[in-house]
Amino acid sequence: MSSSDSSLSISSEDPSDRNHDLNPKSIEDQLASTSLVEIDAQEPEDHREIQNGVDYASAGEGSHHQEIENNDEEVIVDAAQEELPSNFGVPGGLVEVEEASMGLGRGGVVWMRTNSELEVDRPSSPSSSGYAGERGSSGASSGGVSGTDEVVEDEIQEDRNDAVDDVLDSQASWVPGKRHVDEDDASISWRKRKKHFFILSHSGKPIYSRYGDEHKLAGFSATLQAIISFVENGGDRVKLVRAGKHQVVFLVKGPIYSVCISCTEEPFESLRGQLELIYGQMILILTKSVNRCFEKNPKFDMTPLLGGTDVVFSSLIHSFSWNPATFLHAYTCLPLAYGTRQAAGAILQDVADSGVLFAILMCKHKVISLVGAQKASLHPDDMLLLANFVMSSESFRTSESFSPICLPRYNPMAFLYAYVHYLDVDTYLMLLTTSSDAFYHLKDCRIRIEMVLLKSNVLSEVQRSMVDGGMRVEDLPVDLLPRSRTFPHLGQHKLPTDSPDRFRESYAGVGGPAGLWHFIYRSIFLDQYVSSEFSAPISTPKQQKRLYRAYQKFYTSMHDRGIGPHKTQFRRDENYVLLCWVTQDFELYAAFDPLADKALAIKTCNRVCQWVKDVENEIFLLGASPFSW
Amino acid sequence: MPSRRRTLLKVIILGDSGVGKTSLMNQYVNKKFSNQYKATIGADFLTKEVQFEDRLFTLQIWDTAGQERFQSLGVAFYRGADCCVLVYDVNSMKSFDNLNNWREEFLIQASPSDPENFPFVVIGNKIDVDGGNSRVVSEKKARAWCASKGNIPYFETSAKEGVNVEEAFQCIAKNALKSGEEDEIYLPDTIDVATNSQPRSSGCEC
Repeated sequence: MSSSDSSLSISSEDPSDRNHDLNPKSIEDQLASTSLVEIDAQEPEDHREIQNGVDYASAGEGSHHQEIENNDEEVIVDAAQEELPSNFGVPGGLVEVEEASMGLGRGGVVWMRTNSELEVDRPSSPSSSGYAGERGSSGASSGGVSGTDEVVEDEIQEDRNDAVDDVLDSQASWVPGKRHVDEDDASISWRKRKKHFFILSHSGKPIYSRYGDEHKLAGFSATLQAIISFVENGGDRVKLVRAGKHQVVFLVKGPIYSVCISCTEEPFESLRGQLELIYGQMILILTKSVNRCFEKNPKFDMTPLLGGTDVVFSSLIHSFSWNPATFLHAYTCLPLAYGTRQAAGAILQDVADSGVLFAILMCKHKVISLVGAQKASLHPDDMLLLANFVMSSESFRTSESFSPICLPRYNPMAFLYAYVHYLDVDTYLMLLTTSSDAFYHLKDCRIRIEMVLLKSNVLSEVQRSMVDGGMRVEDLPVDLLPRSRTFPHLGQHKLPTDSPDRFRESYAGVGGPAGLWHFIYRSIFLDQYVSSEFSAPISTPKQQKRLYRAYQKFYTSMHDRGIGPHKTQFRRDENYVLLCWVTQDFELYAAFDPLADKALAIKTCNRVCQWVKDVENEIFLLGASPFSW
Repeated sequence: MPSRRRTLLKVIILGDSGVGKTSLMNQYVNKKFSNQYKATIGADFLTKEVQFEDRLFTLQIWDTAGQERFQSLGVAFYRGADCCVLVYDVNSMKSFDNLNNWREEFLIQASPSDPENFPFVVIGNKIDVDGGNSRVVSEKKARAWCASKGNIPYFETSAKEGVNVEEAFQCIAKNALKSGEEDEIYLPDTIDVATNSQPRSSGCEC
């Protein structure tokens, strides 16, 4: 286990490193010892039938139980929590696995525990995950196939035109604003849309609908209110209704009801999280003071207050299919040389000291630098919602603006004021203050900031980073020697000597080494994540969306409260091998070729983590972080 | 949301079972009438766009079930109503007598801010039956009751023949609208950092 040795040696050599630089025990060690234990247990197909159609692994007898939501795909889960190095000394929390609850009442979900090594040896096994089994089952995995279709067509199941429409529904070609306004609940096309979102008031008045005209949907909206209130009258709350392939998810926040109706097979937790964000977006625009309006006047109609914000909601909903921040609850940075980001941070800090609550410099949805006044901290969800608000509202681009906004996680009851100015087509500065008459002061601040950024070439570096992109799996260094701390800038990190030609060539055009296609690394301490650039074979928007959904599902299963949280998970289906590794410091999600070798994939994950650490100065915003959880 | 401001009005229709609430609504929205009686289960919802003094409105009509077993739906259904329509059958004294109960029940459940001036409209339906020969509630009596309750507008209709239905709903829209015109300026607080006891959320619970 040279990699684990090297990782550990780094942290011991460099005692000044902060917590998150500590390397936990190698994932290989965790998985390897797990395998041994499970072979001893002799229960490779240890799952039982439960009368409501739930298959699940025995929780009591096995020393490991790892359960994965599984429809028709094959799943391998390795429990490694017992191998957790005790030297981390954090009791409970993320690393603890709850033994008891097994998520029983969840019909149609299969929980199982298998062991990949055994599976590979026995391809005839019914829950085979070996290559042989995969080949054999390719024709029979109808569920998997329909799952594929689902991701492709978020809009309509059958209608060909709209399927095409949805393929275009990518980050690049997505057209902002509401579509299909002519529809209502009587339209066949409306009924076939795969994912609806609604906001309505507690009196049943429509506030927002993703598709169709709100007023024409007044009857439908009333029906939703009737359902919610009927359950409420019985002293209960409706959270989820399953109807065939559809899930109807409800979120009641005082007088504001949000509902999602979806047949996208996304987990309930994900859909509910999306409703929370939609509600948060509404709070960002109006604050929670709208509740008072409803208290005073139950027939209050808040649509006029939200006038012109359709595009903000539709852009947020669109981000549910491409932006990992929506389920990771973390933000991502634009890769920049350490010194460049420092320079930006310094001038932001300067203005923060002059009465600005938060100073945030962003390029699209990526952070360049941000600074908060003392004790003020910004939640990643607030950043997501704020950036979405600014980016989706066209008027911010045309001139400097001053707008009241509310940060729901900071203080949902009251407004802040945001001075927003675009420095170039993608780069914008946001200065948040509590003072409604600070416009001219903030304008002066912006002029100072802009001057410094221009002088220190930050803006040109930002442009360059946009062109160069971030981490690419093809560039994953393959030697495992500890690196020097002076790793070259990301934009120049093509290191021919570091990447043996045999390795690079054999994977040319098919992702990185060992069949690595993509990864997301989330630093828990920093509340930040880094995601590799998409490259072949995950090149089309359709494939990217499918992978996004797979990650989202994976994330949910890793964090399932009933059966989790988990330490590691290895899952193979007809589309990918997905590997997740969670430590106290980070979460790594990696996607590989479905035929990737497990041992090699694990090794590669260690390399990815090492690589991320090597370049963390450039991909993360370090130090002076206002995020203190 | 289009730039042109539109108003949505929630209209509740109440009355004993069988007085013709659903038929009135169908006649108004769909211009249709069916002789077959189908009891409403819980409630039906219909929408209709109305133009009134150069403005567009959407009426969200809540057609409730008259049977007593559905009364438990009350609060939920009545909340936030802009107008309440009380319907009785001119051929049934009991349905007329019950108007008082319906009205009071509504005011209790909906608890509008100004109950004295909450807009009601009363409709006496089925004036076509038997050429008016089976009628038991006189127009005079009905109007007297309406006057005693704060001059509630009164209409006599035939859902079957479409008599006076349009006019009744025009009045309903007008009255609902009147009660809705009390918009205040929306002015939430601004964070005061000096005294700000920031309600810090516990962060993401993942």
